[in-house]
Amino acid sequence: MQWLKNLFGVAAADPDVSLPPEQAAALEEWRKRPPEDFSQPHFRTRYVVVDVEASGLNMIKDRLISIGAVAVNGGMIDPLDAFGIVLRQDEVSSHENILIHGIGGSAQQDGVEPAEALLRFLDYVGKAPLVAYHAEFDQAMIDRAMKRYLGVSPDLRWIDLAWVLPELYRERIDAQVQLDDWLAQFGISNFLRHNAIADAYATAQLLQVALTRGAALGKESAQVFMDTERARRWVRRAG
Amino acid sequence: MSTNATRMLVDATIEALRRHSPFDRMEREALIFLAEKAKLGYFPKDSYIVTPEMGPVNTFYIIQRGKVLARQSGEINVTEYSSLTLGMGECFPIGSVMARRASTNSYVAIVDTFCYQLAAEDFVQLMQMSQQFNLFCTQYIATLLNQSRRQLQVQFAQRAAEQQSMSSPLSSIISKAPVSVGPETPIRQVVEAMVSGHVGSMVVVDENQQPIGIFTQSDALKRILLPGLSLDRPIADVMSSHPHALPEHAHVYDAALAMAMHSVRHVLAVDGEGRLKGVVSERDLFTLQRVGLRQIRQSIEGAQDIAVLRQAGADVRQLALNMLAQGVGAEQLTQFISALNDTVTRRVIQLNLARHDLYGIEWTWLSFGSEGRDEQTFSTDQDNGILYICPDIMNREELELRLLEFAQDVNRDLDAVGFPFCKGNIMASNSELCLTLEAWEEKFLRWIRVPEPQALLNASIFFDFRGLYGATHLADRLRMSLLKMVKSQGVFLRMMASNALQVQPPLGKIRDFVTDLNPEHPGCIDLKTYGARLFIDAARIFSLATGLYNTNTVQRIRLSGQRMGMASDETAAIVEGFNFIQLLRLRHQHFEHEHGRPGDNFINPDQLNELDRRILKESFRQVRKLQQRLKLDYQV
Repeated sequence: MQWLKNLFGVAAADPDVSLPPEQAAALEEWRKRPPEDFSQPHFRTRYVVVDVEASGLNMIKDRLISIGAVAVNGGMIDPLDAFGIVLRQDEVSSHENILIHGIGGSAQQDGVEPAEALLRFLDYVGKAPLVAYHAEFDQAMIDRAMKRYLGVSPDLRWIDLAWVLPELYRERIDAQVQLDDWLAQFGISNFLRHNAIADAYATAQLLQVALTRGAALGKESAQVFMDTERARRWVRRAG
Repeated sequence: MSTNATRMLVDATIEALRRHSPFDRMEREALIFLAEKAKLGYFPKDSYIVTPEMGPVNTFYIIQRGKVLARQSGEINVTEYSSLTLGMGECFPIGSVMARRASTNSYVAIVDTFCYQLAAEDFVQLMQMSQQFNLFCTQYIATLLNQSRRQLQVQFAQRAAEQQSMSSPLSSIISKAPVSVGPETPIRQVVEAMVSGHVGSMVVVDENQQPIGIFTQSDALKRILLPGLSLDRPIADVMSSHPHALPEHAHVYDAALAMAMHSVRHVLAVDGEGRLKGVVSERDLFTLQRVGLRQIRQSIEGAQDIAVLRQAGADVRQLALNMLAQGVGAEQLTQFISALNDTVTRRVIQLNLARHDLYGIEWTWLSFGSEGRDEQTFSTDQDNGILYICPDIMNREELELRLLEFAQDVNRDLDAVGFPFCKGNIMASNSELCLTLEAWEEKFLRWIRVPEPQALLNASIFFDFRGLYGATHLADRLRMSLLKMVKSQGVFLRMMASNALQVQPPLGKIRDFVTDLNPEHPGCIDLKTYGARLFIDAARIFSLATGLYNTNTVQRIRLSGQRMGMASDETAAIVEGFNFIQLLRLRHQHFEHEHGRPGDNFINPDQLNELDRRILKESFRQVRKLQQRLKLDYQV
């Protein structure tokens, strides 16, 4: 059914979720936005770097608590083009979990209604390519939340820096490592570790490095980054 | 956009910036503005961030982390460094972004570097919002200014290569340990020591080694031999007390200036505690100069006729040129020229007094205009007058006639020695300008009461009077009554202010400078009319308003600024601006003279180097600031 997904940009709606009219309209609005041309050079592309915080690390069981996002537009980070939201939780996450991301019980309960929060996120992202480090987790958490609260799985395209960076900087680290290892390579500091916005900001700076290096190596578009990532994953699996 | 995310990033940026100057002192509101407007960019190692070829700079960079190398481009160095490494929290290129010009430096990331980038419009707005940031940028320009002066020195140095530097410290030319004695030492012992030690002078010091007097060979003749004084008397009886002393790190030209101004042959060098470190004699300076001060002043003071003085006048100019070449600043230089020109003028007056009997008359020779302000440049004509007192027993008209005849001769001789007649007849031989104290006061009061355009113009010339010869205390009396008159007629200063504001600094809205104000000199700026005079006019008003006796523009700005509560770095920036314009004038006149042309004040900004152009622009901005202050103070 991939062709159908591509055709509508949204997977077939889950009949169990019925959105109020305004939210349905907002989703439709997002769906109708023209797709981005991923073959544009980096300096003409707006990337959205994403980081999420969840109630735990289990991609199936745990819930999405907050999303932080910072755009890299034309290679630059503009503080005015940043996004952060906490999703309202019916059930507050564990004490240990709160200690990690620092979003307390009342903050979780005072969060934005999940469907609304996800629609705002979609509106912020538009059709821009999303970037994360170890993107599977962020992608899975967001995707599952969208299915649950919006009843659809919007076709968002992801780039995983954990795969792209070793390809660009083989001479430095030619392996899958932690985000902090790459940040240390370029002296990038994180002003508030495990805060979705701060993590996204640090990752965005890493993307700036990657975009510049990519352009220098002829890997100069989002599409090429996605292809690079796929090829490397395939090689790793095959090897 | 999302407010909470933006706020977080802005806070993080503020935190990062605050670790560095000037952001640590920056106002909160301005910091928030900066952090919101600044975008973060990345520059890999070895990439160019700004180069001259990129054209006008429209982005201001603050290094978030990394290192950037600033390197001079082109063949001519405009700053003293050829390369400089900038680190975290440092900004560039301040001058170019202020002037919206291409940078003179190229900036290269030497490691992976992240920079906050601020658009030029936001940079300008930030300067307006934040006094601290404004100050930071202004001070930066001021250091550029110093560098430019040093640069000028380098450019001239080749020409003056055979001469040692006048700007080296005094300690560098003191060769011998100082010889000194206590005040109770008998004269005999002192003279013996001078003879056996082959020294021409002896310094008398107190128990703390601080100099209290000096005794020289020539004093021996006049003070001991002729009066037939006993050689057993203490040296304190015959020494000259209060010898001129300068800190040992003062420059050689400071000593030259002191010698020229106070007519002394020796200047003492002292350390921080005032203890004697050495003696600098005219002869020491003489070895530094092809045209020595000693020669010039001796020839001036001993001149018996005009021909000798004419040569001395030319020597003064040559000496001043040498000093310009050695990097002496405009302030010292114009003062120096004025001091030596004063000496020439005084000698001309003395020579004429021999032929005119003015005995028993209380009179003083006044100088006006630039000479009155102690800031003459190379091209200078006469502006003078006479102020006298007519006792009841004398016939005023007869007295005036005698003074006028005398003045006529002096004016003629001054013309002959190189100070051309004043085109506007502002000369002592003009009966309108050879007046009693009462008549001068009346004249001044008339201008102050009815400040029509001609009166204001007159005020701008005559109110800068200074007594140069004779009973100079009369000039002080005139100054005192002038200040009183101005104080009682509030409207006068207001008129002066609005008159001063008629001419604005030639800063263009689109181009940097307005250069088409004089059709005979297209592409040029008249730095006297549209530069120096604006400072001078404003300074005059401030000095009259605050009751200052000073006539010198720099002193007026410093002292009146202090009295008006202006920040000292603000006045310092204004003074630097004025001095820079004066320096450009001197340099230009120097070149004109070298090419056999009469020195004018028309400067073509396109022929200046990048740095000078930028500083000139900043100097004009400083005068605009001064004018805004006038506008505000007098509501015009």
